[in-house]
Amino acid sequence: MDLFEKQLSQKGRKYLTKLCVYAGVIAILSLLPLMIKSPYLIHIFILTFITIIATVSLRAITISGQFPLAHGAFMGIGGYVAAILSRWFGWSPWFSIPLGAFTAMGIGILIGYPFARLRAMYYDMVSLFFGIGVIQVFFVFQRWTNAYHGLTGIPPLLPVTSKVPYYYLFLGLTVLCLLALCRLEFCRIGVTLRAIEQSHLVASSVGINEAKYRVLVLAVGCFFVGLSGGAYAHYTRTLSYTSFDLLATLWLFMYVLIGGIGSFNGPIIGTALLVIVPELLRGMKQFVPYISAAILLVVVFVMPDGIVGLPQLMKAGFLRWRKRGRNGQAS
Amino acid sequence: MQLTLITVVNALILSSMYILVALGFALLFSIMGILNFAHGAIYMVSGYICYQLAVEWGLNQWISLLLSVIIIGGFGLFLEKYCFRPFFGNLKRTIIVCIAIIIILETTVNVTVGTLVRSLPAFVPGILMAGFVSVSAEKLVTFIIGGSLLAAMVSFIKKTKLGQQMQAVSQNTEGAALQGISAHRISALACALACGLAAVAGCLMGAIFNLSPFMGGHMLLKALELVILGGIGSIGGIFFAGVLIGTLDATLPLFIGGAASEAIGLGVIIIFLLFRPQGFFGREAG
Repeated sequence: MDLFEKQLSQKGRKYLTKLCVYAGVIAILSLLPLMIKSPYLIHIFILTFITIIATVSLRAITISGQFPLAHGAFMGIGGYVAAILSRWFGWSPWFSIPLGAFTAMGIGILIGYPFARLRAMYYDMVSLFFGIGVIQVFFVFQRWTNAYHGLTGIPPLLPVTSKVPYYYLFLGLTVLCLLALCRLEFCRIGVTLRAIEQSHLVASSVGINEAKYRVLVLAVGCFFVGLSGGAYAHYTRTLSYTSFDLLATLWLFMYVLIGGIGSFNGPIIGTALLVIVPELLRGMKQFVPYISAAILLVVVFVMPDGIVGLPQLMKAGFLRWRKRGRNGQAS
Repeated sequence: MQLTLITVVNALILSSMYILVALGFALLFSIMGILNFAHGAIYMVSGYICYQLAVEWGLNQWISLLLSVIIIGGFGLFLEKYCFRPFFGNLKRTIIVCIAIIIILETTVNVTVGTLVRSLPAFVPGILMAGFVSVSAEKLVTFIIGGSLLAAMVSFIKKTKLGQQMQAVSQNTEGAALQGISAHRISALACALACGLAAVAGCLMGAIFNLSPFMGGHMLLKALELVILGGIGSIGGIFFAGVLIGTLDATLPLFIGGAASEAIGLGVIIIFLLFRPQGFFGREAG
């Protein structure tokens, strides 16, 4: 009993430390515009916030063992629906963005049920074909999406030219989305999803409706990624299909995998690193992609669990080093 | 009449080139368990190497085709040893490596050659006349090369000892290792062969269509479609799916737009796979 209480208090302290770290990061981020005067850096931060919503929602889907290679396409659905409604039909962005998100969610539910039949590689491949098919559908509706040349003239979300209000808006939105997704992962639903990931047979044998939960998490993920797509459309005010195609989807996966797919913080760290570092080295112009590739290669060869696993890796390396030193002294 | 003939020739070319690329992709997938997303980029780079050798440095075009295939084959050996072997059977980490390779290859092409669309000169210039209809000799030669390479590959896999070892490894790696087959050697050979086949397709397609740094994505998609639709582990399935998709790609855009035909084709593939995830001739159940 004593031990149990001790463990509990340790756990509680850990939880409190984590909470303090999160609060500190948010506080620093909210003070950042006061220190940074360069609008370009603010712009990069805003893009990072929007991408973080997309990557964290992608990781939420992967908890259930699904690897949808169509996530960029859902971002595109959210973005294009919001942009078309406000660009051609004069809707306010405050209505069109949620509607875009709900459209992405609806399509996610529609394809979720038939796709729940598939598992592992077959699911990945069929969702990949679906993602590419969605991009081709954008091309078919060329009149509204203007996919070949890029849709321009999307009305702005806020009637300001400064980027700082956008910064606070998207910071708030990101924190809200992360809170919602965190709640999803650590409540009963998240536990159920993990059970499905580990063994769908065991999960269904204890009475878990596998298809229902897989569709549920897909719908939630699609909603948030649609939201980020709509926000992206109304923030940058131009849309091009290249932001949503297969390579973009794979990049979203890169952010998740580089950060660490096993942890909630993984995609956040991965996105921040892979979006901000290449931008800081922008002076090298066309050689910038090499930096991203170098980060990918370093992480994949050195850190099997992504950047989140780095402290553990270093700890293990340190212990091994110390052990070797002690052995050396003994002999 | 002219239109029909051109469509038939286009269908043949597209089918043979799709199958060439997809065969290498399928070899890699069934032997090493790797989805090589960089296959399209390798296909693209081979076209650019051929362009560099033939147009910029003025070599004979056939020699530059051969050199390009050899260079890319060697690159395949490198890939197998340093990029794929450490992550044997780990899908997530191979995807990261493949993305890194794609970025490096595309950026290298962008930096050295530029993003402008280039075109290889025709390997065999001229037009063949047969009665009322005419066909460009280039396309026929492409089809003949593609077809004979495919026949050679199939007889290599089915008849020779090495090919049978490949099949053994793809069916059961441990079982093959117990029989004294070195899985690493076989996968190195498969990787070199796969890259070489993609290189041939890249050079030939670069002469018929244009070269662009982004042409790899389309070919990668077709290779994936062929392998999944035909069924993993089935060579006959790849041929069947290749002819089917090649014919569709050559005929459908005549009636509806390119994007619409692509979207419809993908829709049909998705619906088919929902009911039969293992494809036409796949041996594993979904």
